[in-house]
Amino acid sequence: MSGALPLSAPAPARRRRGPLAAFLRHPGAVFGLVVLVLVVAAALLAPVLYPTSPWRMVQRPFVPPFTLERVPLGTDALGRDIAAGLMHGAGVSLIVGLVSTLAALLIGVPLGALAGYLGGRVDDALMRFTELFQTVPSFALAIVLVAILQPSLSSMILAIALVSWPPVTRLVRGEVLSLRSREYVQAAIVTGQTTFTILRREVLPNTLSPIVVLASLMVATAILLESSLSFLGLGDPNRMSWGFMVGAGRTVIRQAWWITAFPGVLILLTVLALNLIGEGLNDALNPRLSRER
Amino acid sequence: MVGFLAQRIVKGIVVLLAIVVLNFFLIRLAPGDPALVMAGEAGAGDEAFIAQLREKFALDQPLPRQLAAYLGSIATLDLGYSVRQQMPVATLIGERLPATLLLTGTAFAVSLSLGVLLGSLAARRAGTLADTAITGLALLFYATPLFWVSLMAIILFSVRLDWLPSFGFETVGAGYTGLARALDIAHHLVLPAMTLGLFFMAVYVRMTRSSMLEVSRLDFVKTARAKGLTEGVIQRRHILRNALLPVVTLAGLQAGTLVGGAVLTETVFAWPGIGRLMYEALLQRDYNLLLGVFVVSSAMVLVFNLVTDVVYRAVDPRIEVA
Amino acid sequence: MLKTLMAGTVLSLALAGAAFAQTPKPGGTANAVIQPEPPGLMLAMVQNGPTQMVAGNIYEGLLRYDSALKPLPGLAESWSMGDDGKTYTFKLVKNATWHDGKPFTADDVIFSVELLRQTHARARGNLARVASVTAPDPYTVVFTLSEPFGPFLGIFEVGSLPMIPKHIYAGTDYKTNPANNTPIGTGPYTFKEWKKGSYIRLVKNPNYHVAGKPYLDEIYWHVIPDAAARAVAFETGKVDILPGGSVENFDVQRLSALKGACSTTKGWEFFSPMSWLWLNNRKGPMANKAFRQAVSYALDRDFARDVVWNGLGKPATGPFASTVRYHDPKAAKYSYDPAKAKALLKESGYKGETVRLLPLPYGETWQRWAEAVKQNLEDVGIKVELVATDVAGWNQKTSDWDYDIAFTYLYQYGDPALGVGRNYVTSQIAKGSPFNNVEGYSNPSVDEAFAKGAVAVGDDQRRPIYDAVQKTLVEDAPNAWLLELQFPTITRCKVHDLVTTGIGVNDGFRDAWIDR
Repeated sequence: MSGALPLSAPAPARRRRGPLAAFLRHPGAVFGLVVLVLVVAAALLAPVLYPTSPWRMVQRPFVPPFTLERVPLGTDALGRDIAAGLMHGAGVSLIVGLVSTLAALLIGVPLGALAGYLGGRVDDALMRFTELFQTVPSFALAIVLVAILQPSLSSMILAIALVSWPPVTRLVRGEVLSLRSREYVQAAIVTGQTTFTILRREVLPNTLSPIVVLASLMVATAILLESSLSFLGLGDPNRMSWGFMVGAGRTVIRQAWWITAFPGVLILLTVLALNLIGEGLNDALNPRLSRER
Repeated sequence: MVGFLAQRIVKGIVVLLAIVVLNFFLIRLAPGDPALVMAGEAGAGDEAFIAQLREKFALDQPLPRQLAAYLGSIATLDLGYSVRQQMPVATLIGERLPATLLLTGTAFAVSLSLGVLLGSLAARRAGTLADTAITGLALLFYATPLFWVSLMAIILFSVRLDWLPSFGFETVGAGYTGLARALDIAHHLVLPAMTLGLFFMAVYVRMTRSSMLEVSRLDFVKTARAKGLTEGVIQRRHILRNALLPVVTLAGLQAGTLVGGAVLTETVFAWPGIGRLMYEALLQRDYNLLLGVFVVSSAMVLVFNLVTDVVYRAVDPRIEVA
Repeated sequence: MLKTLMAGTVLSLALAGAAFAQTPKPGGTANAVIQPEPPGLMLAMVQNGPTQMVAGNIYEGLLRYDSALKPLPGLAESWSMGDDGKTYTFKLVKNATWHDGKPFTADDVIFSVELLRQTHARARGNLARVASVTAPDPYTVVFTLSEPFGPFLGIFEVGSLPMIPKHIYAGTDYKTNPANNTPIGTGPYTFKEWKKGSYIRLVKNPNYHVAGKPYLDEIYWHVIPDAAARAVAFETGKVDILPGGSVENFDVQRLSALKGACSTTKGWEFFSPMSWLWLNNRKGPMANKAFRQAVSYALDRDFARDVVWNGLGKPATGPFASTVRYHDPKAAKYSYDPAKAKALLKESGYKGETVRLLPLPYGETWQRWAEAVKQNLEDVGIKVELVATDVAGWNQKTSDWDYDIAFTYLYQYGDPALGVGRNYVTSQIAKGSPFNNVEGYSNPSVDEAFAKGAVAVGDDQRRPIYDAVQKTLVEDAPNAWLLELQFPTITRCKVHDLVTTGIGVNDGFRDAWIDR
């Protein structure tokens, strides 16, 4: 479950063309971007198009898709509108993905920067700490964390963040380690700037592009993790999410394939889109790995 | 080398100790306790009953004392006793570990070999249709929720086609021995190992491909080309060999997590492994058993990492192992 | 003078005649599902559902009960009650032996009562009025009560009072006795093997005390953790028996309709499982009677039965399930009436406080039900937030009274004095148990009625007492009763006589046989 690992630290780029152009030359990335924009639009439009709660029972249960105009994608086991659930669920999946990734970055980046910059004992201690989290099976740890905090949106976000920060720390540490010996950083040290200032002004901005790439993959992994947790019944019962819909529909998968199929496909598409965007970003920000030889 | 090993082992023990202490307290933060779970399942229980159970689970002792007792037994390689299951934790885990190792080992071996094969193929044909197909497929597997694939595979291969069994480790009561039993187990293994392996295969395909592309741009490859070596030799001897290093690192890391990471697969396919054991122990608040699973799987991760590092050092003494 | 209530042999003959004229065929293997995997099989130590289901084949009680809850012979072949209602005499079967060959005698009964008083919470309660147990001879046991106890003959089922071998447990620490892992009883099947996480295997007891029984050679209980996988296992023919509750309700209809599949809702009469919402009477809006009544009017029980439970079950009309003695259908009051609920809500002065609703963490059906109830309550204007938790968390929250409204279901064991009173009398308000008076309702007239009903002798005396109590409880609405639950047992039709009593599958497979 720890798929989002960076391959190696990219070297500083020799940019021949703008990163945006490079990104847009990547057909997969453009496709990913389009899908993501659609998902975001669904999340934003959900309260407008489906102002009532997605939990409302609006029709008889198990209406197949494409049979009734009022519920175009059918209804679930209680007669709730699948389309409404998908629209509202988009927001929850995105929030879980984005917030947990942000939280993981908030833990991982400072720790990695400190470890890489200060080195020595601090580095050693921080790396042992990171190792601790990498050694415990991460999915198992996430399950335990959600069980302790009791299932809710925030506990799920926290659990996902807590199991997904170690790769960030390792990445940032590696970057900082190589940047530290650069002349401009050394110059900043000589001029007597504080560690915090140097890290903030000179070092971290230069680690941004690999972090962005990693983050896009982490969002994808987080959405998958959310759906896995919901599948085990550890989701937030007050929030309609795609993972919840798959989990709730799986017991009736034989009678009503559409309840699990639609949210399942949406999870797949979103995760796919985020990965393609990640690849596009990687190519754009880090041309050394681009497709052309 | 000996010094390095000793240092690594000491560090590993420190990490393991920290995991035990951390999880010991984490688990006890969860609401409820094993006595309440047992009483709840019994559908009856007065205060005397629950007090009796708490005494049985040694929950009436103060926490630091419980921790000390646990650490003491861990030090003598004793994982303690599961009062709920009326068995030593080591026995319970020992019963389940082979099934998990078989499942994850198979999934791991298949996904790694297939992943490297397809990944290198894609790298050599970078930019062609074959490359697009392979990377596209890998991405698709990577993005599909594991449990969803499992459900679909059961419906297709077990229910519709009736080719493969959908649950369990072997045909119960068939009384197979020897080769027949091995074949029977293999038959049961196909679906869970396949669904679990697909995800990891996707990871290795993507990693091998990008790693190979990266290496192929390095100077020594250019030198090799200049020397007029054939493309096949360059690909195999120079590029693939070097490109595999990061793949092996990741594999080492994941081989360990696979031990504890198969909760979903084991649940869906009723595979009697320790991932499921862990999840059930958590729901039942079987503290000793849950901690035991964490200790064992963490220890395995540490061992895998150590082995990877040692192999690295042996292969290339210049690599400094952090 | 003793009044003989029932002669065992006569009745079992009658039963055998009632079963279809087919002759049982001996032999064969039964493949059943057990969910979840039990923590142990020693019935005196562990009483959870799956343990009772498997161990009901290994252990036996003195009595069994038919679907009308009339006693049937078990390890006792006949029984009688003294005229004072305080002495009960049991004649034991003479040819019963423990699985290790030692004979089963009155000493074992006396010992079992002693042991269960220490380890079995429900038995402790049931035996509270037993002053002494004596054995005039090795095959006669006399229970002497301190005061009459109407439902006394209803406490001898295997799960409630299993017989435990004295020669194995006497003088040992019951909790750690190694025999707990290799249970020894007198039942029709003996424990053979338990592969944790995979299956439990029981084999035929060749020395069973009922001649010719059991018929099956062996029983495999398969452990399959995922509900969908259990359904597939039945569909693909890997298992033939799905005991009640082992598949989600959504699958019950589909699986029962499969070719060669049969299903029955019988076999739960003894347990009478009843579901309701605990309303925390101590605090917030729930302290107000009008609010509690509003909740009851807001619930659409027919929808719950038809959609959530796929047509299984029966809307509850009051605190007594209809299979419990002295159930009074006239006490019914709450139909689905959102308008009335809204009016009552207004009357109660409810100000829109958010009410926490705690679902029962027993799978998808209960989760869906909580979602439906949330809708029902929100429809009449009650603000509801679902609280997610697991089994341990649910038990803690209900037994610590840390909830507003909580789902539950409990067995009522056929008699109000056994399974109903505990949820409503003041003396049962005690933190630390999720099965007593969790809602905190206290009414002296109800306390008095349940006390009188338990010691009154005979239906003529008991019925009016319980009629009155049902009326009071329905009016006060301490809880919101939902459905009398049904858990159909689904089998391959070739499996015969699996469910023959009111205890159902928990009574063991002693009569079951497979047509081949």
